[in-house]
Amino acid sequence: MKVTIVTFRDIFQSEAQEVDRFGEDYRRMSAVVFLDKSDAAKAGIKDGSNVLVESDNGRVVVVARISEDTHPGLAFMPNSPWSNQLVPAKTDDTRIPSYKSISATISVTDDKIPTVEDLLRELVS
Amino acid sequence: MAVCTGCSLLCDDIEVSIDGRRITKTKNLCRKGFGRYRSLASDRSVPRVDGRQAGIEEAISRAAEMLRNAKRPLLFGWSCSTLEAQRKGIELARRTKAIIDDTSSICQGEIMDMVIRKDIPTCTLDDVRNYGDTLIFWGCDPSSSHPRHMSRFSYFPRGEKLQRGHEEDRTAFLIDIRTSPTAKILAGNFIQISPGGDADLIEAMLAVLDGKIPRVRDKKAMISMMNRLKKADMGVIFPGLGLAYSLKGRMDRMKALVDRLNETTRYNVIPMVGHYNMRGFNQLLFDETGFINRVSFADGVDHGPVYSVVEASKSCDLALVVGSDPISSLPAGIAKALAGVPMITLDPHRTLTTELSRVVIPTALSGIEAGGSALRMDGVRIEFDPIVKSEYPSDEEVLSKILEEI
Ligand code: SF4
Repeated sequence: MKVTIVTFRDIFQSEAQEVDRFGEDYRRMSAVVFLDKSDAAKAGIKDGSNVLVESDNGRVVVVARISEDTHPGLAFMPNSPWSNQLVPAKTDDTRIPSYKSISATISVTDDKIPTVEDLLRELVS
Repeated sequence: MAVCTGCSLLCDDIEVSIDGRRITKTKNLCRKGFGRYRSLASDRSVPRVDGRQAGIEEAISRAAEMLRNAKRPLLFGWSCSTLEAQRKGIELARRTKAIIDDTSSICQGEIMDMVIRKDIPTCTLDDVRNYGDTLIFWGCDPSSSHPRHMSRFSYFPRGEKLQRGHEEDRTAFLIDIRTSPTAKILAGNFIQISPGGDADLIEAMLAVLDGKIPRVRDKKAMISMMNRLKKADMGVIFPGLGLAYSLKGRMDRMKALVDRLNETTRYNVIPMVGHYNMRGFNQLLFDETGFINRVSFADGVDHGPVYSVVEASKSCDLALVVGSDPISSLPAGIAKALAGVPMITLDPHRTLTTELSRVVIPTALSGIEAGGSALRMDGVRIEFDPIVKSEYPSDEEVLSKILEEI
């Protein structure tokens, strides 16, 4: 399924980040993508299933959640090291990354959600 | 009364009860601020040098030595440090002929530049509380990012001239992509746009102001909003990250709208700065160099996109990171480049950046363990004293020592 990912800030996730960015709470609240109900149904994605999100820049496994509000074609992710796997490293003349409009595809996966440590290992590999 | 450094509202009405070195009770903190206070006891960073645990003094000396030997250092972060520490940071950048940049470079820099240069009018949050009768939250979600913004300053309070508060005297609009918690509060005045739709919306708003028919689906709603906006005695626009990213490179369109609104009434702009003292750094650097960010001291003062953290991460030979976690907040491809550079990090907490740093210097948590001053999102200076004793030095103390040793 093709979507545009828009990142956002969530107060519960911000609180968890303040307290411990290596903690399970922060991962649970960060490694997540909110999907439109009908989009998810069409792609056979259930609330709570692991999904692989891929952009031209990278890929990451997160958990899918179905939004209460409708937003076909859009998927929302809290801004975090998980969403940053997808943000293009290439920037335009402004040198401001495009955090809030990322073309991506989403599919169901059996792969596990990476921990912060996994993401760090990836960075230095 | 204590000050919360959880966001750039710098709430200065926090009540704290302390038992020895422990905070036992707090009052008036929002959830985010409470998280910051709780972080006092969680996951503090430990001094490290070249992968092994060390003393703070040793870490400082090693940092000074690395900075002395660097040819093209990048000094980055700064938005979670006091003005006093930032001043030392700029001095250090001068002394080491470094590139200096802050987090505004990847978020609100463009609009903050206009505000600090006085290219667009601004006011204080106290003015908003007292006189701001028409508000536009644009690409932001204050309920989540600045949880007490609407209750302390902008929407709910009864102001000097607005005794009937939000019930009658104030109108607030929200322009955003997502039905956020703030969208639920301002449901009747929520203008939902698609990603990147901000520029088109501005053109439509300008069209209505010029007496033309706007090219939008709901023409009636647009015209009625513009009629309301025109009636403002004092309007205030609060641009958030949504606008910053959507309108990057085209922020002059925002200025065009603000200028146009100001032809008939008064409109001010206060960017929704995230970190507690980003504005302070931008103002200090501007006062010293004429630029708010992205400055190189390699040969006098130079400024430009090549000195942005995004570019400098790829070209520097050393990074000093102060109170920021770029490895977490940069796009992974850029974080990867930075991860390949030797890093020195000053931070109260263990972060993704400290994990990859050659030298880690733990510091006191400002507002709680270290005093100083900072500029609120509206430029008002707020001073604070430490409320508990700390075993860690402040950013300012560490930077002073590094300066002495260089
Ligand atoms: S609104 Fe910001 S400054 Fe005020 S208590 Fe919350 S986090 Fe702290």
